[in-house]
Amino acid sequence: MKAEYLMRRAFYSFLAFMVSLTLTFVLLHLMPGDYLHSILPYLAEKNPDAARMFREQFGLNRSISEQYLLYVVNVVRGNWGYSFLYGLPVLAVIEEKLRWTLVILFPSTVLSILIGMAVGAYSGWRNGSKTDLSVLNFMIFVGAVPSYWWAMLLILIFGFHLNLFPLGGYASIEALDVGVRISDVLRHAALPVTALTISSVPGTYYLMRNSTLQTTGEEYVLTARSKGLREMEILRHHALKNAMLPMVTVIALELAQMIMGSVFVETIFSWPGLGLLTFEALRVRDLPLLQGIFLMDTLMVIFANIAADLSYPLIDPRVKVGENV
Amino acid sequence: MSILAINDLKVQFPTPEGLVKAVNSVDLELEEGERLGMIGETGSGKTVLGLAVVRLLSGAEVEGNIEYRGKKLLLLDEAEMRKLRGREISVIFQSPNSLNPVLKVGDQIAESIRLVGCSNRQDAKKKAVQAMEAVGMPDAELWADRYPHQFSGGMKERAMIALGLACDPRLIIADEPTKGLDANIKAQVVELIRDVTTDKSLLFITHDLSAAAQICDRIAVMYCGEIVEVGRTEEIFANPLHPYTEGLFRSLPIMGMKAIRGASPSLIDIPSGCRFHPRCDRPCENCAKAHPPLVEAESSPGHLMRCFQHDRG
Amino acid sequence: MSRKSAFSAGLFILGAYILVALLSSVITPYSPTALVGRPLDGPSDTHLLGTNDLGQDIFSRLLYGTRATLIIGLLGALLSVLVSTLVGTVSAYYGGGVDEVITRSVDVLMTLPSFPLLLVLTIFFAPSIFVISGLMGVLGGTQGIRIIRSQVLSLVEANFVYGAKAIGAGDLRIMTRHILPNVLPLATVKFVFAAQRYMLMGVGLGFLGLGDPSVVDWGQMISRAYYNGGFALGLWWWLIPPGIAVTLLSVALALLGYGLEEEIDPRLKRSVAI
Repeated sequence: MKAEYLMRRAFYSFLAFMVSLTLTFVLLHLMPGDYLHSILPYLAEKNPDAARMFREQFGLNRSISEQYLLYVVNVVRGNWGYSFLYGLPVLAVIEEKLRWTLVILFPSTVLSILIGMAVGAYSGWRNGSKTDLSVLNFMIFVGAVPSYWWAMLLILIFGFHLNLFPLGGYASIEALDVGVRISDVLRHAALPVTALTISSVPGTYYLMRNSTLQTTGEEYVLTARSKGLREMEILRHHALKNAMLPMVTVIALELAQMIMGSVFVETIFSWPGLGLLTFEALRVRDLPLLQGIFLMDTLMVIFANIAADLSYPLIDPRVKVGENV
Repeated sequence: MSILAINDLKVQFPTPEGLVKAVNSVDLELEEGERLGMIGETGSGKTVLGLAVVRLLSGAEVEGNIEYRGKKLLLLDEAEMRKLRGREISVIFQSPNSLNPVLKVGDQIAESIRLVGCSNRQDAKKKAVQAMEAVGMPDAELWADRYPHQFSGGMKERAMIALGLACDPRLIIADEPTKGLDANIKAQVVELIRDVTTDKSLLFITHDLSAAAQICDRIAVMYCGEIVEVGRTEEIFANPLHPYTEGLFRSLPIMGMKAIRGASPSLIDIPSGCRFHPRCDRPCENCAKAHPPLVEAESSPGHLMRCFQHDRG
Repeated sequence: MSRKSAFSAGLFILGAYILVALLSSVITPYSPTALVGRPLDGPSDTHLLGTNDLGQDIFSRLLYGTRATLIIGLLGALLSVLVSTLVGTVSAYYGGGVDEVITRSVDVLMTLPSFPLLLVLTIFFAPSIFVISGLMGVLGGTQGIRIIRSQVLSLVEANFVYGAKAIGAGDLRIMTRHILPNVLPLATVKFVFAAQRYMLMGVGLGFLGLGDPSVVDWGQMISRAYYNGGFALGLWWWLIPPGIAVTLLSVALALLGYGLEEEIDPRLKRSVAI
């Protein structure tokens, strides 16, 4: 890998963002009625002067290309339009919710990577064994159950029947008096994190299993055996690191999957993050807000990809950023 | 006393296409301190034989008896077998992908050293560097901290040899260590193997006759999963008895590079009678019908071969 | 359970669902949208799974819901496989500039998070099962182009394609007669997995309130049960059946997909190294 490769990836990320921007711009303009009509439906009829001022203020009277440029500049400056639902700048709404999403998205990503990789490595190493096949069948089943159904089952069992965890929200009602306590938030986050983790473990597992399976036929594994290493030592010291190489890029892709899962899980647990915000925006057809969320999701995926690109050389010595192989 | 005695060894691989009979009733003895060359074409079963000794074949059915210093290897449990690997019997593989690409070469050697009881990480690393110096690697300390992809083909093979010698084993199985190397590098590696195995027992698996000649005391020729000729190196070179061995010599560049006609038969569908008869230059009637036994040549004691023609005349 | 029997089980369940979808009007006497009983009645002889908050028969809704889910899953998957096979084949077969443009565009589009994009576009075009399947087909098809392309690429280099070119076969003929049949197994596997994913997504959209308002679907049923008291009151016969229905169908398609994948991918089979 060379610097040129990284430059190209960066350029793709930039292009992807521009494509997202252009898409949202086009959709906003094809929307029936204009922006103004959506926010203040009767203004143009009742007070044309005010409507004209409004249009000038927002640049709605300019040519399409000018409006596009203006839109791009605005987005880059952090002006992502106004939410119909909240009547607030989209970015401000999203920023606040993003934090809550990360509270559950981060731990569940880490957990599902750790669990999926560990179980997948073991399963792939022992491929064809009874353990492998039963784990594989189990994971195929777990992965086939939709995330929203896992979320509901968890609520039904652990929240409703066993009463071990709260049914939803991010803090108890006492928070009004004593303030939001971390332990309380964690208790509320437990089930959503579990639901997200369960639904994304099988994907990681399946890829890691395949990746590990490929290493079992490698010559360095035979060398390791000839040294007299135990099977588990060979897996840990020799196969694992090699099997992880292709996973790095895949995990960035899986984040997109997690984002989808979080929409359902947050909605079901009333967790006040981007996912629940998506649901609310969908319910009232708040297109500007939805598009803002879409842009934010694009940015998250782009950053995950960049992080993957940068971390790849850390585990594969053959790849050095900015250096010829 | 022999360090390794193989009796009636059979190795078969069940595959969807049929049973692959890779090794068929092989008998072989290796004396303590002896260096034996195992010669044959690709697919003759020589590599399978070598790996069967250390029990590193997966998906294979192995029958017969392999005795290492009086221990019946096929009867040992996996843990006992593991203790022999590396410290008593080590394998030197052909190199390009035999080193782990994501681990430093020095660490891979040190890992072996730590297995034999050198628990200190620093000491093991130091010994690994010494092992690399012992195979003639300049700046060993520097190269120990590098990764396999930074090594040239010849250096990788040196590292593999260092790895094989790291725990001072009694028996070394070298599996085509010179395959794919440039001529002058090959010469260096052959010389190195000869020098470092003077006090060891060696099973040198190769398709390279000249390399075997430089290193080995005795040579066994394998064809189609069985030994067709075995004898002292000088004896084999001066007086090859089996037509296949003769063919191998004729195919050498200095002998005119005449390839043996036909191709190696599939190990699923082995020819009846003498396995070599379809490719033989002078087959007799009997060759297609009966399977010749491995017998001592009358002319030279200790020189065994598997051919009717010589038996009779 | 062996792969083979898993595969048959998957096929059997899928067949049963298709049958139910076709025969739902025969099996149940009630229209799924008619108000046929007292609201929130429990299961009884007349209403096998009771009634919902509007007094609609839950069992009928469950049966009729099979249609929307199957249509979205199968149609979406069909479209996406068509898109990826068509574009992937053309891209790999012609190579050069066409290939370059397509590959680069796919690289860029793969970076976009497709689910939020699907939501935005569904809202924009107004939700209907055909709009949703169409969007899924196009968005999902983009993701599959790369896989089909690399498969075709290896075929284009194969001898029989050279042979066909040598005897003067036309491009279209080579693609349809020589390449397509070889891509078909892979495309079939992709189809089954895509059908599973889109079916789950379709039900999910219904749950999020993006279902086609003119049809009965399991997602809308789950959502209604969840938010209108089925969950709070513990009325399991309202909430659980559509969830089980979608889960079972998804498991069946997964079994089918993994069975097929193993069948066509020799790498996943246990092989012997000599």
